[in-house]
Amino acid sequence: MERIGALFTGAPIDRPPFTLTLSLYGARLTGCSCASYYSNPDAYAEGQRAVVELCSPDIVFSPFALALEAAAYGAMLDFPEDGPPYLKKPAYKSIHGLVVPRPHSISSSPHLSYLIKAAEKVVADQNGARPVAAPIVAPVDLPILLLGLETWLDMLLFKPDEARLWGQLALDHFISLSKAYSDAGINFVVTPVMLANPLIVNPDIARRTLLPVLSDAFAHARLPIVFHHGGNKLGQSLGMFRDLPNLLGFVLDERDSLVEARQQVGPDLLLLGNLNGPSIPYRSVDDIKRRTISILLDRNGDPKFIFASAGADIPYGTGKEKLVALRDLLSGDPGSLP
Amino acid sequence: MDVRAQRDALLHHILNAEREEAKRLLLSIVHEDSYETALRDILEPTLRLIGDRWSKDAISLAQGFVAGKVAEDFIANTKGHLLTEMDKESPIVEGSPPRAAVLGNIEDDYHSLGRSMVISFLELRGWSVTDLGNDVLARDLVDTAVRIGAPVIGVSAMMLTTARNILSVRQALRERGLENSIALAVGGAVFRMRPELAAEVGGDGTADTGIDAPDLFESLRLRIYGNQRRENR
Repeated sequence: MERIGALFTGAPIDRPPFTLTLSLYGARLTGCSCASYYSNPDAYAEGQRAVVELCSPDIVFSPFALALEAAAYGAMLDFPEDGPPYLKKPAYKSIHGLVVPRPHSISSSPHLSYLIKAAEKVVADQNGARPVAAPIVAPVDLPILLLGLETWLDMLLFKPDEARLWGQLALDHFISLSKAYSDAGINFVVTPVMLANPLIVNPDIARRTLLPVLSDAFAHARLPIVFHHGGNKLGQSLGMFRDLPNLLGFVLDERDSLVEARQQVGPDLLLLGNLNGPSIPYRSVDDIKRRTISILLDRNGDPKFIFASAGADIPYGTGKEKLVALRDLLSGDPGSLP
Repeated sequence: MDVRAQRDALLHHILNAEREEAKRLLLSIVHEDSYETALRDILEPTLRLIGDRWSKDAISLAQGFVAGKVAEDFIANTKGHLLTEMDKESPIVEGSPPRAAVLGNIEDDYHSLGRSMVISFLELRGWSVTDLGNDVLARDLVDTAVRIGAPVIGVSAMMLTTARNILSVRQALRERGLENSIALAVGGAVFRMRPELAAEVGGDGTADTGIDAPDLFESLRLRIYGNQRRENR
């Protein structure tokens, strides 16, 4: 916790902090089925204890299972054997005649209850030793999971009154869940923003349609927020999002330049990244080390940098030796880097 | 406003999601000039330009979506003109299959955005589209194509997991001896990332963007016509 705290106090640190998105990998380490891992908070917490034992990251995560938030509203999920649940079908087939639902109370939804109880257990296990971050669906993206991208895009672009109603649901949901995470002892939330991708919504339209929703949600959240690139390059959009309220920093895609990102966001916001997590099983240990060293050298002296895996969870099938190599490199003496 | 200024204005409206303004502009051209001018000289060249930019990732999905909606509005507000105009420009050769297609998202796929856009662009080019919606079984796609005599089935999938379900359409066509009379067009986000996947799932072709889909469908229709002529010799 001291290492992360020093990012904000400016106190000297022995090495840059690091984290790896190993929410899923805990299931592999404990041999737990994914269906059980993503429904039983104890199983999840046990998995994260195994992650800490293996990698000793400076930040750990509560469940990275965004689809569970949509399941609270009736979205149909699939539970693969080697991955987190994913959305099979949006919650609402048609919005014709549909009254916008109210956000679910945490206790009335088994899926949301699971997320919060798992967070509580991970926080209790860490007992202040390291911060715990909670992934949360971005308010601009929740309607995609509930209605589908086409319907949401149609509303955002052409039906502002309807978009406002669904945006309000997403906002209330975000605020309520972030409050519950705060009560659970979570230190900050991480929100992947899919619609920030300029290939999906270009900046001019995003400024009009997305920014007000994000701004409202972030301003009312009970926890600081890390803006995650959501699987897409984020570099060219940072200028648009850097002034959002309550913002702690950005997780960047591997294709983003950290140098340019720092120039765009200024000295105060955190930058996290940018080794692509889902690609780790397909890269050699040497390649992973090369990339990691290049990131660390690039950010040498940046007091607001956290080395982090980018993208989605590190896959279930990743060889343990790759994570051990990363751990050894990241937890070693930075002076010994080539 | 001259033609060039009208095209620029339409492009501006589409890129800025000004759907109503785009509709008003096109309808004013229909009323003040002609339907033919609005379609041939303004809308189609603008859509081609957007398609070109889209295939180079120079415009966003949201802007492509707006282009589809503008095409949809134009069709809805000029019904009656369209088929006559298409028949004039690109008449159906006697005996060739009709410009009719069956579209759907494959079983387990619920991402309708691309399909809706393709429907708009196909209809703009005079195709009659039977839309079966999301999560459609292979047998329903094939049964419908047989029933209405459509030479092309268009199937959409967004993710790799659902794209693999398209193989069941190819299998159904093969089992029923329909491979020479019905072609299979495939599309969706995953095919843009992995174009080679189209052949892997049994597709006869794919298009980079929704705007390119009518050209693909027409080439498949003509391929089916060629098959039929060979069989009849």
